[in-house]
Amino acid sequence: MQKLRMLWARVRGQMAQAREDQSFDEEISEHLALLEARYRAQGMSAQEAARAARRQFGNVTTLKERQRAQRGILSPAEWGRDIRFGLRMLAKRPALNAAMVVALALGIGANTTVFSIVDAVLLRPLPYAHPERLVEVQSWQRMEGFESDSVCYPDFFDWRAQNQSFDHLVSYHDTSLTLTGVQRAVHLDGEVVSWDLLPLLGVTPELGRGFRPEEEKLGTRVALISHGVWVSQFGSDPSVVGRTIHLSGEAYTIVGVMPPAFRFPINAPQNSFWTTLAVDNDGTPKALTANRGSHEMSVMGRLRRGVTTAQADAEMKAIAARLSKQYPETNTKHDTARVESELRATLGDTRTLLLVILGAVALVLLIACGNVGNLLLVRAREREREMAMRSALGANRARLVRQLLVESLMIGLLGGAAGCGVAFAATPAVLRLIGDSVPRAADAGVNLPVLGFALAISLASSLVFGLAPAITSARGDLLSPLKEGGRGETAGRNRLGSAVIVGQVALGIVLTAGAGLLVTSFIHLARTSDGFNPDHVLTFLFETPDSRYANTRPQFYRDYFEKLRALPGVESAGGSILLPMTDNGAHISFENPEHPLPQGQWESATMDVVSPAYFQTMEIPVLAGRDFGDSDTVQSPQVMIVNQAFAERFFPGENPLGKKLRPGTSSGPTRPPAWRTIAGVVGNIRTSATDREMEPMYFLPASQLPNWCCLYSVVRTSVDPLSLESEARNLVASMDGDIPVTDVRTMRDRIGMELAQPRFAMVLLSAFAGLALVLTVVGLYGVMAYSVTRRTREIGVRLALGAPRGTVFEMVLRQAAVLLAAGTGIGIAATLGTEPMLRAFLYGTGARNPVVLAGVCALVAVTGLLAAWLPARRAMRVDPSVALRCE
Amino acid sequence: MDDKKMEVLQGTLDLMVLKTLSAMGPLHGFGIARRIEQASDGLLDLNEGTVYTALLRLQQQGWIASKWGTSENNRRARFYSITRQGAKQLERETENWERVAGVMQRVLRLERQA
Repeated sequence: MQKLRMLWARVRGQMAQAREDQSFDEEISEHLALLEARYRAQGMSAQEAARAARRQFGNVTTLKERQRAQRGILSPAEWGRDIRFGLRMLAKRPALNAAMVVALALGIGANTTVFSIVDAVLLRPLPYAHPERLVEVQSWQRMEGFESDSVCYPDFFDWRAQNQSFDHLVSYHDTSLTLTGVQRAVHLDGEVVSWDLLPLLGVTPELGRGFRPEEEKLGTRVALISHGVWVSQFGSDPSVVGRTIHLSGEAYTIVGVMPPAFRFPINAPQNSFWTTLAVDNDGTPKALTANRGSHEMSVMGRLRRGVTTAQADAEMKAIAARLSKQYPETNTKHDTARVESELRATLGDTRTLLLVILGAVALVLLIACGNVGNLLLVRAREREREMAMRSALGANRARLVRQLLVESLMIGLLGGAAGCGVAFAATPAVLRLIGDSVPRAADAGVNLPVLGFALAISLASSLVFGLAPAITSARGDLLSPLKEGGRGETAGRNRLGSAVIVGQVALGIVLTAGAGLLVTSFIHLARTSDGFNPDHVLTFLFETPDSRYANTRPQFYRDYFEKLRALPGVESAGGSILLPMTDNGAHISFENPEHPLPQGQWESATMDVVSPAYFQTMEIPVLAGRDFGDSDTVQSPQVMIVNQAFAERFFPGENPLGKKLRPGTSSGPTRPPAWRTIAGVVGNIRTSATDREMEPMYFLPASQLPNWCCLYSVVRTSVDPLSLESEARNLVASMDGDIPVTDVRTMRDRIGMELAQPRFAMVLLSAFAGLALVLTVVGLYGVMAYSVTRRTREIGVRLALGAPRGTVFEMVLRQAAVLLAAGTGIGIAATLGTEPMLRAFLYGTGARNPVVLAGVCALVAVTGLLAAWLPARRAMRVDPSVALRCE
Repeated sequence: MDDKKMEVLQGTLDLMVLKTLSAMGPLHGFGIARRIEQASDGLLDLNEGTVYTALLRLQQQGWIASKWGTSENNRRARFYSITRQGAKQLERETENWERVAGVMQRVLRLERQA
């Protein structure tokens, strides 16, 4: 309380400085006049009385200065003087100061860049009403080598009916449909949701209305469209609400247009329409909305006011457990649920990755601060005489500390300003690197909060690197620097500088080791045999809508692939509903008569539906049996192909060919799942770049599953794959003008997109590690060079007394080696302690890879000793006669 | 921060000023310096300027107040008086000082016996 009052008095005093100065002058002169009068009365002469009064009163100038400092927070005049003086000091050593500003600019720039991304991804709330009450609800299932959090509709309906925790609970899953009847057929991504999506999010449409509860009913087809589609396809026509449009051959009524900034889900900015879950209901018992075995949905909820995530989590777990008792056939493996904050669920591991990167970049700044601090220490040594002189002339210590802090602050702010420039330049480049591998990263930019952050870290760094030198030099004793020749020095006095170097080396080791692990992991990811050959492969997608192809799909695809294979430049072509290395996959259970289990506990594996020649096109080897062929039709014996991992997992030591299984995949509303004979075994392929092992997979022939849409076309070419794009588009258009071809990419591109996140993590961390290493080495060089300069006299004496030059050389190198060794030791310990944080992002290497660690230590040792080489040579070449004479 | 030449024990000047104002009523800076000089029988080597630093500090704490008046010279001078809060503070500080002085005395006596 008393402190606050004092502060307030000072703040007020600051405002009234000038007036107070004047009245204080008056007070002092009155006091002096009274003193003088008293001495005159004792019989002194006027001159004597004046002198005695002054002696009695003390130093008027000092008092005024002290009074002024006590009165306000800062005195503009004094700070102005400090700043002017600081500027002169900066101008005096431009090279040294530029080195400091550059080091800081790199550190602050890197931090600001990373922070701009962290701000956009982690810190900004979701763009919905009361985002803190939004949660993701998952049906949690964990099996050997596989985990799933997707929900099935019947479970969702039960959750929605039974819970007490949520205001709204909404299911959603992505879809893509073809919009026809506009200028040209276009392929649109969209989302199938429950009716109350908009109330859940607290968003209202720009035009029209949201969905109504009855619009979830069988046969309803309504859509909300995005602002973008409204502009591009409907010319911003306000009468679009109520209009009927055709999506993949079905008539939908547009009920509303969403605002331009609306996005749902947050990581699907491309979504152009939203429709209700009525589209998943065909009225049969096999419909998605009725199938407790089809876990394909995500569920988002809005917590009731006052309900915590933990309470909701407990309630949903209880409901899931109840449902698993009620429906053992389907829910035995899905017997629990999980409620998690929506933002956290959206980000998943990415959050940890960003925090690791933020931590790494903070270390870089710390190293940069170390460098600047060391250079300031050097400068402080050079200025010892100046400080001693000023101190002797009456400057108090606080004044000197402040002077030095002002100078540090100026360097910090200059570095910060340059750092903002670096961030402006670097942020777009980093965003390109990230691509869409991090949700919301695209929103990042250097904005006001980010600049505020840059300012804050500039000030904080100034304190970090400025305080120690300021205090050290202000504490310095007065006499010795003033004495002649006081500059000579022996080893060991620059303890603070040495400690800083040791710390920098340690941090450098931690960063470089982390980068080394990510690089090792990335090389592993990029080089691992994926089981197929992604070169010269073009892939694209088009839809064959149920409205026209429900029964004729196999025929259509057979004709289409035949024509495709006939195009010049095409070596082979096939199709698959999922592409390897794209992190897609349906996990579907199957009945195995040799390993009977109750229905809810059937084994399951990733399933794919493919055309003939798909394996040939991807160069996936057929190891036993045969590929699918045109002879496999709906009427012919039902077959399947498994991969090697599947054969090993489910038929260990046996020949899987000829075995019969019944995958829970129906081939149409009227056809129940069929028993299938394993006709072939193919090599393993990686379904996702980040799979740690090859998953068991089975393949069904598209020709026997006419209800499954849509096959990705996969084309192996003898020419540049992308050069075939227009011919492929023309071919599809010639067969059906209402089918737009979409998502045209080479297989290499797809893998590149899949590796975007590991790649950007690797590139960023390597860049930071490189920066850290350079800063550390430069810092070490600086300290060694400085130490040699300071010891010139000592070295001269040694040489004059007959020390061999080689010994002097070794002495300097040994000093550097000791610093490096100490830093490396601490660094290794810190690395072993912190690297497990990276475990989730490492593939093909442990978190404590001795080869990486040894390599990093060798790198640091070699570059460090190189940095010490030059000063050591200079020390060796000291001319004793010159050294002894010069000081 | 404080002047090393000052022979007034650090931190005691504020207390002296408060006590003077409490005993004598409103005074200007010169007057305070005189009273302290008298009270100490001229033994205290007081740098009179520092009285003003103490006055400013005390005023900022709200323990004394000031207003302009006329000095013996018939010129404008600032007169300081103790506030109610200041009186309380004086009581606390006096107690505190007596405790410290008492402890010091006991300790010093101890040494003499040993």
